[in-house]
Amino acid sequence: MNVTRFIIAGSCILLGLGLIAPTLTISPQAGGITWIIKIIAPEELAASTYSILGVIQKLYQTNDIFLAVLLAVFSVFSPILKLSFYWHATSLENSKKFNSTIQIIHYVGKFSMAEVFALALIIVVIKSFPGGSTANLEWGAYLFTFSVICSMVVSLRLDSKRG
Amino acid sequence: MTDISDFDAPKPPAWFGAAIPLLIVLLAAGFYWFITNGENDSRNEETLNKKIRLSGKLSAGQTYYIFASEIEVYPTNIENEAWDQGKKGPDIRYSILWNGNAVFESITKDDSLIADWSGLSIELNWKDLLGKSVSSDDAIKAGRIRFEKSEKIEIAVEDVDVAADDDVGRYEIEMEKLSIGKNEFKLKKTASNAIRKITLRVLPMSSNIEDLANIMK
Repeated sequence: MNVTRFIIAGSCILLGLGLIAPTLTISPQAGGITWIIKIIAPEELAASTYSILGVIQKLYQTNDIFLAVLLAVFSVFSPILKLSFYWHATSLENSKKFNSTIQIIHYVGKFSMAEVFALALIIVVIKSFPGGSTANLEWGAYLFTFSVICSMVVSLRLDSKRG
Repeated sequence: MTDISDFDAPKPPAWFGAAIPLLIVLLAAGFYWFITNGENDSRNEETLNKKIRLSGKLSAGQTYYIFASEIEVYPTNIENEAWDQGKKGPDIRYSILWNGNAVFESITKDDSLIADWSGLSIELNWKDLLGKSVSSDDAIKAGRIRFEKSEKIEIAVEDVDVAADDDVGRYEIEMEKLSIGKNEFKLKKTASNAIRKITLRVLPMSSNIEDLANIMK
């Protein structure tokens, strides 16, 4: 169980950093007229770097409350809640309680969009934008992805102990 | 008297351990925020230094771009008559003279009592839309002067007419009175002057188009 807790702690650290570190940089371009925009309104072509919490904050500030709450619940609170249940499960001696906790974890896991979010980020980067705009993954996205992988490993380890 | 030993001490509830992951996430995020906050402070300082570079007094021996971003004229000309025979406003053009030589002449702004110039202009051909690189020197439309304390520059404003250009006024400025950025001069109507206000912009020759855009703000 100590190894499992160690992985959960690692996943928590990676999640904490992954939420606040730069995740995605978007460099807008305007095709053939990029050079004109660079002169007239260079700020429009400035590369923007976002963290996951930064995106949530921006959505909130632009009054996209629904999207902000959706992203916060599925990409922040739900993964944390899942990790909390994992930690709790590692301290349980009673196999009946352990099994019911694992069932709750699987239920909470359905609402965790962390895996989907990581995948969506990669798709966004692969997808080509009009006008030559590019999106690049920053190191925060890799931390977030590793946090997801660690969480999957924990899930497999706990499943194997299930009676 | 009863003692509570470690064995008897109340144990924290089972869910208490579940808060540990939340604490670790918060600590990791807080640690990163603490580190990067310092970096942001130094970046803000860099921006501040740049702002300082784009303001303040001129330095002797340095060369600068200078142009009028706005010139306002009185409703009547120096002879107290209507501009363009009362049909339209004056067609304003200005020149910058340094050491008796015209170092810059603006384009003409038609029918304006308040004429403005951006200091930025690019001549476009249809083929340029396929892609063109523009240097600051090509794009910044301004006079180039070297700052010397005792020297002066002169702004000469004309009303451009088909027959003959009419003098709107001339204004001599001691270079010492100029500072980087915006410089405003309000003038009184006289028998030889119909200029109400001149707004000059000065920026160092090392400036790029972004600096110009910042100064225009």
